Amino acid sequence: MTAVLQIVFDALSLGSLYALGALGIALIFGVMRLVNFAHGDFIAFCVFAMLWPSTDAAAIVFAGQLPSYLLIPLLLLIGAALSVLSELIVFRRFRNTNPATMMIASFALGFVIRHLLLMLYSSRPKSVTLWPSLGLPVEFLGAHIPMLQVVTIIITLIVLATLVLFLKRTRYGLEMRAAAENFTMARMLGVRANGVILLAFAISGMLAAAIGLILATNSGTADIGMGANVMLIAFIATVIGGLGSIPGAVAAGFLIGAASVVFQATLPHDARVFRDAFVYGAVIVVLLVRPQGLFAPKSAKQRV
Amino acid sequence: MTLLAVNDITVSYGRLTALRGITLNIDEGEVLFVTGPNGAGKSTLLNAIAGVVPPGSGSITIDGAKVTGAAPEDIARRGFSLVPEGRNVFGDLTIEENLKVGTGMRTDRRKIADDLESVYEEFPMLAGRRHTPAGMLSGGQQQMLVIGRALMAAPRIMAIDEPSLGLAPKIIDQVYEILVRLRAQRKLTLLIVEQSSTRALMTGGRMVLVRGGRIVLEGAAADMVKDDRLKQAYFGFGDH
Amino acid sequence: MSQRPSVIRQTILTPIVLIAALLVMAALTYYFGSRAFNRTAVEMFINIMIVVGLYAFVGNSGLLSFGHISFMCLGAYMTAWLTIPPVMKSITLKGLPVWLLHTQLPMWIATPISGFFAALIALIIGRIIMRLSGIAASIATFGLLGVVNNIYSNWDSVTGGQGSIVGIPPTMNVWTGWIGAAVAIVIAYLYAISRSGLALRATRDEAVAASASGIDIVRERLIAFVVSAFIIGLAGALYAHFLSIVNPGSFYLRTTFVTLSMLVVGGMYSLTGAVVGVVAMSVLIELFRNLEKGVSFGSHTVALPNGVQEIAIGIITIVILMYLPTGLTRNLEFRWRGWPLQRRLQRPAQTALKELN
Repeated sequence: MTAVLQIVFDALSLGSLYALGALGIALIFGVMRLVNFAHGDFIAFCVFAMLWPSTDAAAIVFAGQLPSYLLIPLLLLIGAALSVLSELIVFRRFRNTNPATMMIASFALGFVIRHLLLMLYSSRPKSVTLWPSLGLPVEFLGAHIPMLQVVTIIITLIVLATLVLFLKRTRYGLEMRAAAENFTMARMLGVRANGVILLAFAISGMLAAAIGLILATNSGTADIGMGANVMLIAFIATVIGGLGSIPGAVAAGFLIGAASVVFQATLPHDARVFRDAFVYGAVIVVLLVRPQGLFAPKSAKQRV
Repeated sequence: MTLLAVNDITVSYGRLTALRGITLNIDEGEVLFVTGPNGAGKSTLLNAIAGVVPPGSGSITIDGAKVTGAAPEDIARRGFSLVPEGRNVFGDLTIEENLKVGTGMRTDRRKIADDLESVYEEFPMLAGRRHTPAGMLSGGQQQMLVIGRALMAAPRIMAIDEPSLGLAPKIIDQVYEILVRLRAQRKLTLLIVEQSSTRALMTGGRMVLVRGGRIVLEGAAADMVKDDRLKQAYFGFGDH
Repeated sequence: MSQRPSVIRQTILTPIVLIAALLVMAALTYYFGSRAFNRTAVEMFINIMIVVGLYAFVGNSGLLSFGHISFMCLGAYMTAWLTIPPVMKSITLKGLPVWLLHTQLPMWIATPISGFFAALIALIIGRIIMRLSGIAASIATFGLLGVVNNIYSNWDSVTGGQGSIVGIPPTMNVWTGWIGAAVAIVIAYLYAISRSGLALRATRDEAVAASASGIDIVRERLIAFVVSAFIIGLAGALYAHFLSIVNPGSFYLRTTFVTLSMLVVGGMYSLTGAVVGVVAMSVLIELFRNLEKGVSFGSHTVALPNGVQEIAIGIITIVILMYLPTGLTRNLEFRWRGWPLQRRLQRPAQTALKELN
């Protein structure tokens, strides 16, 4: 029973991370059909923003020293600013180009950010100590669950709830959902294209910052490549969830997280190292069964 | 007075020219019926006015303000509301949400709730299903919804592309009855594009026939429908 | 179809010019280049093979593939298994089947075998993946990359796991590199003008019309996928012989995106674009590499800080795509004014422009 509970928490917390990542990708994809491969580097950038640029082995903590009530908003702001700037400087010029060109442009942008970080901080992972008390386990129905997992899950739920409220209850959320479904039609109803896209980038950047915080707290290190894995899975989750579907992306993120954890727990010991191969294999199978994704938006079917 | 003036616009898609110099004026409160065969450039004309395709030359003004080449959202904000062909409901949004999308740009925010109720009065079957995703509606219901949605944007000119496309004759009659009534109630200026000209009798007003990217015939709708020249021009007999 | 001879006549110039231009580069490098420059040139030729192989699939089908580098991985490890001396293999790669442990083939036999091995795997996997279209197909190829990388990184007894396998005979020079690039260009060209290639491009430009005229999209895509895997498998083998070590990390995301960027920068629907993209990026990389080493002005040496190379290349890629979204060649093939074929080869550019509108 405690083992099962542990698996449930592992699945939920890993799934949370993927869901937040998928959300960041799906929001931007929805409004401008851009698969943002720079998202993983946004995540890393936010983590490194806590450190003072230096190539020394010992990390010089900078923003990381701030009290949480300042640090968290500051990082969210940095994430949003980086994301918005990338739209203003780069992606704006790629509106309406074909998806492959946009994808490569976003990859190139990520490449630039990654190497900028490498230049400023060197490739050595650095230790970041945030909220060490979160590493302690809490006892829950007899199982010892790391506090951080609980916090990750709660934060994700709060973020999701806030976003749902924003999307469902506010005018801007409504405009964003409409634009995600049919951008031209939304514009013909007076929805400002630039506004909606900037908003999507800002939210996506904040999500990247949130993931960065969770990852850094979890691993205790800042590593240039730390966002890449989340980005990859998030990207896959976005497609599995049905491109353009925001709830689909979240659900698929949790699903992939759960699948990884379950494979990890149930595969025979020798096969465990091949867990990711099973996950990717499962992704291919899902696509074969439902090429349009698990939760394709209703409008997508009509457009055919 | 002239509300919408289209002055000698041309539109090309690559090497394909869709509009070869169209000039139109619509007065406030008027109905203009644009007809013509498939591929004549009717939809392109509406898309050009709405800012979806930029005209290659010529100018468009709404209420005296030049909107040539402006973004669709800015043209919408000038009071031009297009109901495009194929309806384009937001399938994942509920009926009520669909209706509200266009209200974001309105300045008279207090009136929105009243307008919403009056749209529901006009289209009672939408009222009963406010929170149903629009993707679940039938074609006819979707057509009503997009007309309602355009109204919610409080437009000065409403343009409708092929409102009868894919609908049963009975539903088409209903759509036109509503359009005629709306026009009478709200003094709405209407620009209707239809492949078939027969419905023009219901709406009255003026009619132009577009063929090959040009206006080939123009007149009062009632006279035109009876006129043999329309048929000739429509099918291109007039050229020979 | 009876038009085949004329298709060759009208298009043959493209591969000839490309191969000849590369020959000139190889010769110049061989006679005038430093040792380091020779290595750069070999790397460029190998990249040309990869990107041309990628073009054979992406350019003809219009589907973006993220999985092609896994074929490079398959080819590189296959040649490593076949060419490393048995004494070394029996220590590091104990899990290999006995017959393979005792085999040692020369590079010129092992390389084609590696290509065929990659093609075989492509045939098996492709039968599944090629049924998908659009972005679902792209993600499925991503899945393939993930699966192959995961297996090769962790199957320690056969692949050496995360570590590197050493001892592959280092038999590459500019000439073998050039031959590899020429072979890749010829194969990609022959595929592009084959019935399957023409049919596949028709599906790329007008999917509905093409399927209505009886083209079996899945089959043609599968053929392109296998051809492309063969070329990239060869490239992987040559890469192994170039570095003389292989490591699963070299066949993952970075290489995938760098090669895709080269293709898109050159023009992803054109063979010329594939080659031009690699050459242009290689020149840039070499240029910045030298700038990082330092340039002397009299007694002063000015050097760019390390890392500027990658940043500059990323920025230049973005700028090129901003102003030339269809790539440096605008998806056109090598031009010869007045050639009747121009029409046919220009079509992709128009399609791409249509997408822009």
